[in-house]
Amino acid sequence: MSSTVKKVEGITRESTQEMIDRALEAYPEKGKKKRAPHLAPNDPSACSSCVKSNRKTVPGVMSARGCAYAGAKGVVWGPIRDMVHVSHGPVGCGWYSWGTRRNLMSGKNGVSSFGMQFTSDFQEKDIVYGGDKKLAVLLREAKELFPLAKGISVLSECPVGLIGDDINAVAKNMSRELDLPVIPCNCEGFRGVSQSLGHHISNDTIRDYIIETREFTEPATPYDVALIGDYNIGGDVWSVKPLLEECGLNVKATWTGDGEMERIAATHQVKLNIIHCYRSMNYMCKVMEEKYGIPWIELNFFGPTKIKQSLRKLAERFDDTIREKVEAVIARYDPVCQAVVDEYRPRLEGKKVMLYVGGLRPRHTVGAYEDLGMVVVGSGYEFAHGDDYERTSPEMPDATVIYDDASEHELEKFVEELKPDLVGSGIKEKYVFQKMGLPFRQMHSWDYSGPYHAYDGFPVFARDIDMAVNSPTWKLVKSPF
Amino acid sequence: MANNLGLTVKPITGISPEEEARIAAWIDSPEYREKNFARQALVVNPVHACQPLGAELCAHGFEGTLPFVHGSQGCASYYRSTLNRHFREPAAAVCSAMTEDGAVFGGQANLHEGLENAYALYKPKMISIFTSCMPEIIGDDLTAFLKNARAKGVIPQDFPLPFANTPSFNGTHVTGYDAMLLAILQTLTAGKRVEDRCTGKLNFIAGFDTNTGNYREYKRIFEAFRIPYTFLADISESFDSPLDGTYRPYPGGTPLDEAADAVNGKATLTVGPHATQKTFAWVKDSFAGKHASLPMPMGVARTDAFMLKLAELSGHPVPESIKAERGRAVDAMTDAHQYMHGKKFAVYGDPDLLLGYVSLLLEMGATPHHILVSKGSKKLEKELQALLDASPYGKGAKIYLNKDLWHLRSLLVTDRVDGVLGDTHGKFAARDARVPLFRFGFPIFDRVNRHRFPIVGYAGVVHMVTEICNKLIELRDDTDDDRHFEMMR
Amino acid sequence: MRQIAIYGKGGIGKSTTTQNTVAGLASLGKKVMIVGCDPKADSTRLILHAKAQATVMDLVRERGTVEDLEIADVMKTGYGEVKCVESGGPEPGVGCAGRGVITAINFLEENGAYTPDLDFVFYDVLGDVVCGGFAMPIRENKAEEIYIVVSGEMMAMYAANNIARGILKYAATGRVRLAGLICNSRNTDREAELIEALAKRLGTQMIHFVPRDNQVQRAELRRMTVIEYSAQHKQADEYRQLARKIADNKMLVVPKPLQMEELEELLMEYGIIADEDEAVVGVAEAACPA
Repeated sequence: MSSTVKKVEGITRESTQEMIDRALEAYPEKGKKKRAPHLAPNDPSACSSCVKSNRKTVPGVMSARGCAYAGAKGVVWGPIRDMVHVSHGPVGCGWYSWGTRRNLMSGKNGVSSFGMQFTSDFQEKDIVYGGDKKLAVLLREAKELFPLAKGISVLSECPVGLIGDDINAVAKNMSRELDLPVIPCNCEGFRGVSQSLGHHISNDTIRDYIIETREFTEPATPYDVALIGDYNIGGDVWSVKPLLEECGLNVKATWTGDGEMERIAATHQVKLNIIHCYRSMNYMCKVMEEKYGIPWIELNFFGPTKIKQSLRKLAERFDDTIREKVEAVIARYDPVCQAVVDEYRPRLEGKKVMLYVGGLRPRHTVGAYEDLGMVVVGSGYEFAHGDDYERTSPEMPDATVIYDDASEHELEKFVEELKPDLVGSGIKEKYVFQKMGLPFRQMHSWDYSGPYHAYDGFPVFARDIDMAVNSPTWKLVKSPF
Repeated sequence: MANNLGLTVKPITGISPEEEARIAAWIDSPEYREKNFARQALVVNPVHACQPLGAELCAHGFEGTLPFVHGSQGCASYYRSTLNRHFREPAAAVCSAMTEDGAVFGGQANLHEGLENAYALYKPKMISIFTSCMPEIIGDDLTAFLKNARAKGVIPQDFPLPFANTPSFNGTHVTGYDAMLLAILQTLTAGKRVEDRCTGKLNFIAGFDTNTGNYREYKRIFEAFRIPYTFLADISESFDSPLDGTYRPYPGGTPLDEAADAVNGKATLTVGPHATQKTFAWVKDSFAGKHASLPMPMGVARTDAFMLKLAELSGHPVPESIKAERGRAVDAMTDAHQYMHGKKFAVYGDPDLLLGYVSLLLEMGATPHHILVSKGSKKLEKELQALLDASPYGKGAKIYLNKDLWHLRSLLVTDRVDGVLGDTHGKFAARDARVPLFRFGFPIFDRVNRHRFPIVGYAGVVHMVTEICNKLIELRDDTDDDRHFEMMR
Repeated sequence: MRQIAIYGKGGIGKSTTTQNTVAGLASLGKKVMIVGCDPKADSTRLILHAKAQATVMDLVRERGTVEDLEIADVMKTGYGEVKCVESGGPEPGVGCAGRGVITAINFLEENGAYTPDLDFVFYDVLGDVVCGGFAMPIRENKAEEIYIVVSGEMMAMYAANNIARGILKYAATGRVRLAGLICNSRNTDREAELIEALAKRLGTQMIHFVPRDNQVQRAELRRMTVIEYSAQHKQADEYRQLARKIADNKMLVVPKPLQMEELEELLMEYGIIADEDEAVVGVAEAACPA
């Protein structure tokens, strides 16, 4: 989207590469060799990924990555509000991922929406004898106690795959017996190298078990769209959906933030898929394109510049009525955003940000920081692939450092040298940098705030960033004695 | 038209508001409660987590110690982030990041590579290894793997590498804490027992305790008694470190040489009889000096017993300052009693904590009406029952073993109480029942700085009683009509 | 206390041999415990005169968790005061039998089953080492002596060699050693000589040649060992001899497993397999010229 190559004073290819080399010095030979290709200065002109990605995590380096189960339960399935999501295996996985992602839900908890921790709580005996029989009993109980659930997903944890349980067979039989979709998802944590495989497996499971099993009851219109890859963190969907509706579109389904299984199942009937998080949902967009001829468009709802560009790009896919509405919307929100920028930009101008997140944020949020006058001096992903880095390169200033599956050691070294004014990353990194006296925002969970998406989100984002960078508490860090 | 599940394509039905209202009423009914308690296989909103979480917490309690998860990468991130969220502090830990090939060929290669990298990058003084599901199922032999690691020169011969088998499919986070503590003490004290040597110190074991205020309170009490002590697994600095502009991956923990010398201690005291069962059994056989196991000092009677034991073990009388503290705590309780007396509470949590809640409530003339534990033994049940039987306020209280927070919800909505003592995970059940939830346990994700305020000792009594009573008073202020809203309470 | 693991190909007669040998040791006044490490749970029936003993895992399944078990629930005493435990486990094709072995042995350790009065603990382990769980009995501080039950049949010898390979791996880090081959005769040609030769190549001994005798089956029909059923029978004598040899055995070695070609050469040498005729490989009977 950016046409000109951005530069940051004092950052050159050489300076960045030297910084990388210094960070790598501490590694043993083998570790160094494995990590080196994952770290590089950005090269926006190359139009390709400058780093290696989607490789096995190097043991012992303190990676921030999760696992396939985390990608399936936490990211794709968990937000679908009207299904019971069973963490099948020992108690921990479901417990740790219970309510921590902040994908908000409509409905009544335990009645019509199920943001709870359902688990088969495997014991030693279930490992030795297998858990298939227990699963069948569990599914009956879930149906009886939660009769309004529209379906049940069975998300397998490591042991299920290791002992060779056949959850697919159980799901098939129980679907029939209960007259309810029971969706088996083989997302054991040891599969693949990160959350990313869990997204992929979950997409495939939606393809195999859910899509095209429902139809919308209301008549189709040319403006029917689905919002894909928005997980309603802190209410993001509730900001984007009304915006799209204001532009004249009918948002028929949201994947999967505040999602409903039935509407997801009928998404094959929409006219356009709008994808926000490309990494986690591109698979199903491509499936729907191939199978049902539904085109998809990748948009960015962070910050007024990107929102405006995105809405105009979107309008081009539709007729004049939509185009007019989009222009009206932009005209309406431009001054609102300008007021936000006017308030916060003076306090944030020129401040440096380092990002290390997942999914789409290491590239999609760059514009929002720039709207506030800030400059992103380093960015990277926990679980991205080459196509993510290709999309990141043009967004980032020339020669800034790009890191894939960064270890805590590397992040610490980069922060020491780049001295950013703000770090945006996850909970595991947050307190490391705050102890250094560095302002920090969690950029997975919006640090218990949000929404950050679209026009409703930008003022919240701007306020939070300002609050983090300019909190008077940072001035108290240095003691006078 | 049918998909591969054999399901035909159906129109969307949605959920009507009437249907939602009907089910919402039904799940609050005694009939639903019965069905809910008949569950055999499905667990909903469990109180307990898995062993490795406790193992990691314990490892953080030793100087320069890097916790090392042998298993899938995702496991390590889950434990770390849970500790980060509760304490709002860093938690440096690494993982062997086993993947599919590890599952087939065993985890030795990953373990060795992980040790080599972690040792070089994070310069620990000890690496404490514990396992998640995968190596436990495929049967990795850590004794052999670690021997090989030393033989290959991945790790120096004399570098301490305690390991604990902590499969997530038995026990709970509490069991894992016990297993890791045992492994660490066994490793550090091996060959350190010296006949006739006595450190003159009290070895103190707190067990799975995530309240850093408790640790500081214990230390304050030892100092008041002038008892030299070794805190075995001291997480207080690790998870409550000062913000001064420097990040320290190992901000605290029990010094390793001190832990090693604990084997020659004057006495060893645990206040986690349930949480440190295995460790304490081994300590009794292996450590010099006297050994004692006491309940967690919550409430006045249990704190009294704690003080008397310290007096006995140290040979010093209970200090005047502590006597005065006791008096002030009792004063605080009598000042507060009218707001708690006769009130009913639901309590849930780990065994040692639960016993503490029940004691304190009974001392205040309140009834622990529903007592719920996720994984509890018959022994725990007996101890709880004995507490209830010994007090007139225990009448009508019921113990629910091996139940979860969805069971608790049914209890709260069908058999009402005035408050719930627990942790963040109970907030949905408490809200549905419109009862205040007091977060004294673990984890606390939705309130700040709670873990800095002790719940043990006389100070803990004052803190808990104050929290509970003021909230109940505040509720009256929030709900009373204008005529009854008044200056005095 | 000496801890001994008995391995060998499935169906070779491990359980029968183990129980008869244990009965032999008991008759010599030794205190023995048998830990069956095979989900089939047939390692103790001759000692207990029982169809099948309640296994650790069965009871775990019934009661919920390991913590709810008492040692008395799973340990039975049979002939000659021999203590018997079966780990138990799933039917073939489900769950994880290896983990069952780990669970059971951990339980026994934690609950004080390894009392100091025991002279011997025998682990009767499933066919071959198939995953980490089945190697549990030979981890450090467990069995240090391994006997492999073998016969002159080709597959039994392949299996024995494979097991030796497993032992070699564990011997590198621990104290586990190969203590000998027990030949449970199938009356194949030159069987004793062949097993002696195999033993020599592996660097060990054939500790005893147990001849085939139907008295074993007659005793089994009564769910008894020969030692108990007919103490005077000559077959009982064979097992007593084996028991005595094991009791006196000092020859513990790190095995030298054979390469596949070496093993095949050995089998050829004894006429168990013929030299490969490439012309007949993959040719169906019907397609053969008469």
